Amino acid sequence: MLNIVRPKIEIRRVSKAYASDHGPVLALRDTDLAVGEGEFVSIVGPSGCGKSTLLYIVGGFLDADGDVIIDEKAIMGPGTDRGIVFQEYALFPWLTVEDNIGYGLDRQHVSATDRKKIIDRLIGVIGLTGFEKRYPRELSGGMKQRVAIARTLACDPAILLLDEPFGALDAQTREIMQDELLRIWLETQKTVLLVTHDVTEAVYLSNRICIMSARPGQIIEQFTVDLDRTRPREELVLSPDFNTIRNKVWLSVRRQALAAGQQNVDPS
Amino acid sequence: MLIRPEAVSAGAARLIGRMSPLVLFIALWYGACSSGLVNSEFLPTPTKVAAALADLVSGGEIARNLFVTLFRAAVGLALGSICGIWIGLMMARSERFKAYVTPIVGGTYSLPKSALIPLFALWFGIGNVTAIAAVFLACLLPMIVNTYHGVVTTPKVLVWSAQALGTTDRELPSQVLLRSAMPDIFTGLRIALGFSFVLAISTEMIASTSGIGKLIFLYGENGTYDYMFAAIACIVAVAFVADRVTLLGMHRLLRWHESAAADYERRRP
Repeated sequence: MLNIVRPKIEIRRVSKAYASDHGPVLALRDTDLAVGEGEFVSIVGPSGCGKSTLLYIVGGFLDADGDVIIDEKAIMGPGTDRGIVFQEYALFPWLTVEDNIGYGLDRQHVSATDRKKIIDRLIGVIGLTGFEKRYPRELSGGMKQRVAIARTLACDPAILLLDEPFGALDAQTREIMQDELLRIWLETQKTVLLVTHDVTEAVYLSNRICIMSARPGQIIEQFTVDLDRTRPREELVLSPDFNTIRNKVWLSVRRQALAAGQQNVDPS
Repeated sequence: MLIRPEAVSAGAARLIGRMSPLVLFIALWYGACSSGLVNSEFLPTPTKVAAALADLVSGGEIARNLFVTLFRAAVGLALGSICGIWIGLMMARSERFKAYVTPIVGGTYSLPKSALIPLFALWFGIGNVTAIAAVFLACLLPMIVNTYHGVVTTPKVLVWSAQALGTTDRELPSQVLLRSAMPDIFTGLRIALGFSFVLAISTEMIASTSGIGKLIFLYGENGTYDYMFAAIACIVAVAFVADRVTLLGMHRLLRWHESAAADYERRRP
């Protein structure tokens, strides 16, 4: 396990209430979490437990009670140090693939030559050479999500926030994308916070898995995943180590889902 | 590149197909005149109208008045669009601004703007200012309503993505909100374009000494209906071309948009 010497992200007693027609609904209550530099942490929990809300608070998109501290400074809204990828891709539909990837660079007034260099490299990384001038509507779901990831990486954020990034993809594409993400993480050693409801995905990708309770959400259990990520997927997924931890995580999530009166946790 | 003969004949067939309702309309018109179904004094035959049209065009009368009308419509449309987009954007971004503007917009939305022409004539006199003010007001409302809708329905994840990629609050309208609202803004623009012709011409009929509206009104008063119809035909043609040009611009600017693409695909054989 990684030692959390200096937490990159510290979530301190964060609470969030939403207004609804039936009065305020508490989505999160006194949630605490620390993520070390270079760590890959997944948050798993029953649907509606507030795990995405927590991610949006870390992103600075939602106000909340409590503090989110990045590099020992409390955040004040969104910033380029935290890149985000959403389930629904959120590409700018009016920009081509290369302009989507270059969007963050344009805001920072990066020179044309550097811009082109970065875009060319990232298009190579995501394997979309030849698609530079396409609009998002001309791409498949998997291609869109690759562009979204490249767009985020272009700004070179220290932290990646991933909100069920592969939830809308078919099973085969999802596995390919997970392998690509793993490769990018191993290469760049970015700090990653991933929200997912897919237990296998969480075990396959993360150093640590945090289980969230049903609403109001709190992190109630954590699992450290100590697997050799350089092993090929088949070997890893079929190994007894992998399945032991996967079963533990799955049982924990299931308990939460049952407690919430829901049975919508994917047991795969 | 060689043009294939079958492509030419297909194009010709499509053109004939499109023109046939117009031909049918003229045939019915002719029939109604010659059969004595309507009094030919009030409805001149197509040939008489065509002769009047040729006379108006060659005399330069049409060009002069058309220019005046188009100038009024264009200036009013441009001002109304700019202000309407700004107000719509502000309404979507500020609850307070919205609270102030909503009752005014709601109250004047269904009001026929032509009802205000006599009032404007009183304030601004006979001529350009009155016509432009009437066009401006008529164009303002569809632009406000459509821009507001477009900006308000911008997906939250787009705004958040932009912010996480370093977009400041100042850059947000130009980089994300107005671009995302562009399909709605164009819908508003097409409606406003129609209104701009209606209001420019109706103002000219009531409070102007020039313009196509005045021309139509004068020929109507004098009972020279063939000339009146010729003037109407001119403005119909110009309005049709203006709408087509707007549509063309829309297709070019909204190439990225799903519905624009679908619409474009549908037109292809």
